[in-house]
Amino acid sequence: MKFSALILSAAVAALAAAPAFAADLTVVFPDAAAEGRIMVAVFDSAEAYQAGRPVKAAQLDAAAGETRITFDDLPDGDYAVRAFHDLNADARMNTNPFGMPTEPFAFSNNAVGNMGPASWDRARFPAAGSVEQTITLK
Amino acid sequence: MIPSRRAFLMGAAALSAAVATPEMTRAAAALNAVAELKADWALATRDVAADAPRHALRLIHGRAPSGLEGVLYRNGPGRFRRPGGSATHWFDGDGLMRAFRIQDGQATLEARFADTPKRRTETELDAVVTPGFGTRGDARARVGSNDDANAANTGIMPAGDRVWALWEGGSPLAMDAADLSTQAFVTLRSDLKGMPFQAHPRRGPDGSIWNVGAAGDRAVIWRLNPDGGLNQAEVLRLPRASYMHDFTATDRHLILVMQPWLFETQTTPIINGLVWRPEAGTHVMVLDKDDLSRRRIYELPGFFHFHLGDAWAEADGTIRFDVAAGEDPRFAVDGARVLVEGQGTVPGDPATLALITLRPDGRAEMTRSNAVGEFPQSDPRRRGLKRRLTIHTGGETRGRPLPTGLALQDWETGRSEGFTFGRHQVVEEVLFAPKPGATAERDAWLIGPSINLDAGRTELHVFDAARIADGPVVSWAADFALPAGFHGAWVG
Repeated sequence: MKFSALILSAAVAALAAAPAFAADLTVVFPDAAAEGRIMVAVFDSAEAYQAGRPVKAAQLDAAAGETRITFDDLPDGDYAVRAFHDLNADARMNTNPFGMPTEPFAFSNNAVGNMGPASWDRARFPAAGSVEQTITLK
Repeated sequence: MIPSRRAFLMGAAALSAAVATPEMTRAAAALNAVAELKADWALATRDVAADAPRHALRLIHGRAPSGLEGVLYRNGPGRFRRPGGSATHWFDGDGLMRAFRIQDGQATLEARFADTPKRRTETELDAVVTPGFGTRGDARARVGSNDDANAANTGIMPAGDRVWALWEGGSPLAMDAADLSTQAFVTLRSDLKGMPFQAHPRRGPDGSIWNVGAAGDRAVIWRLNPDGGLNQAEVLRLPRASYMHDFTATDRHLILVMQPWLFETQTTPIINGLVWRPEAGTHVMVLDKDDLSRRRIYELPGFFHFHLGDAWAEADGTIRFDVAAGEDPRFAVDGARVLVEGQGTVPGDPATLALITLRPDGRAEMTRSNAVGEFPQSDPRRRGLKRRLTIHTGGETRGRPLPTGLALQDWETGRSEGFTFGRHQVVEEVLFAPKPGATAERDAWLIGPSINLDAGRTELHVFDAARIADGPVVSWAADFALPAGFHGAWVG
């Protein structure tokens, strides 16, 4: 009795914490080289995207063959993903002497910017239920 | 009838005003300009729809000299206009690599577009959208890095079994030398990915390859091994942020000619950020190849240029090189726009050849010749070494773009001799092709294409450097015209 009440209350708490609908976002980097790690950041609004404040972030151990990650239970809505391949695993996006990135990077929708990073408008995608973004790091 | 017809036309006008953007209108105008061939030279900036597979050229004059075997690779813009928007500047068309192959007395021609991200995006959108040297581009552009805007359309460097299609603001693009298929952008070292590699690399007498990549007042100096692998790259701070398309070198020095066309704002297209300040003069920086921190600056009155000839140093330390010098950048800003419009008048006077002398005591002189000329080239057996001769295009007249002949300048005698095809030919850059086993400077063929405007075809001509005024020793013709290219390389 006590046990099932506990389960029930946990379930209620979970329901209360999560919105009525949740999305599972899977991000895949099928062409990534097997070295270093892939840094992935997920954003849930134009403001957060602009400010670089991810709602979720992860590192994939690309050297060990990890090229896929799923972010569970995101509230339904619009998202954008930024990723870069930290080839030398120094936790920085390396640049050439003139400031251009030398490590592969990409955005959701494989969006490309216009004289800079891809904008929220180009990178955003709706997430509801199970969604997958296949991204080519370049 | 008349009122209803009028109403219909007005309705159509209102509709087109609502639907047609100014960009579409300009694109249509550009398409029409070429269709109507408003200027007799407009073929020089025609659009090529697709790659041209290798095919035999037809012999139209003379015969191929025995011993002349090799490939003339040439690069230049091949597509400017698309229905949804067009390049508005000669330097912003898609790179079209051409190979003229000469073997067993026969010649063939093929041309293949550099398969760049820019071209892929613009093919998909059916619009030129990417900002460039003089083309504004628009909000549909996809430029996440400089190589996304790389037109790979300016020069070519042979590198083993590849040719590198060169631009000036980004990486070389490797293409297969055998079939001109695109491979990939070249990264010479992982931490230098995307660093600019300009379109005029220069080989030293020892075979090493030097080049510059500039961004405002900073430059990378590239030193490559003869096979194209990286030997060294060093980043320098320059004394001014000058537009540099070319540099030159002696066997011991690198020479950066910093004209008073200065980057004052970072914007696109590039020309919008450049300001012409002739009163600031032209500064020439000479660097020691073995120690780039050893440098000296010479001052000259301000002049405009794109192209320099190979330099040499004399026993007393005097350095000399030639330049195709103009008065101002009006051609680069407006003339190159007129070229793509296919009609109109090119402002300013054509460039003339001049010899620059840098004295050991720090004085610099510029001696102008009377020779109208562009695309200066010289004997590859004398790279960085003392020479007398410069081959260059010529015959350009005020107001009308593009050369109609070629001439050989002898700096020792001051004499110029040449050959003029006439206004029905657009003459492209001409290169020295040394005769096998020969060493004298005039023991060379001079090879370059032209566009025969009357016949509507590209031709390939070979001259004997010892008898240039006699005209071509052999000429071949394609049965169609490719637009004018910029720069080439002869692989004998």
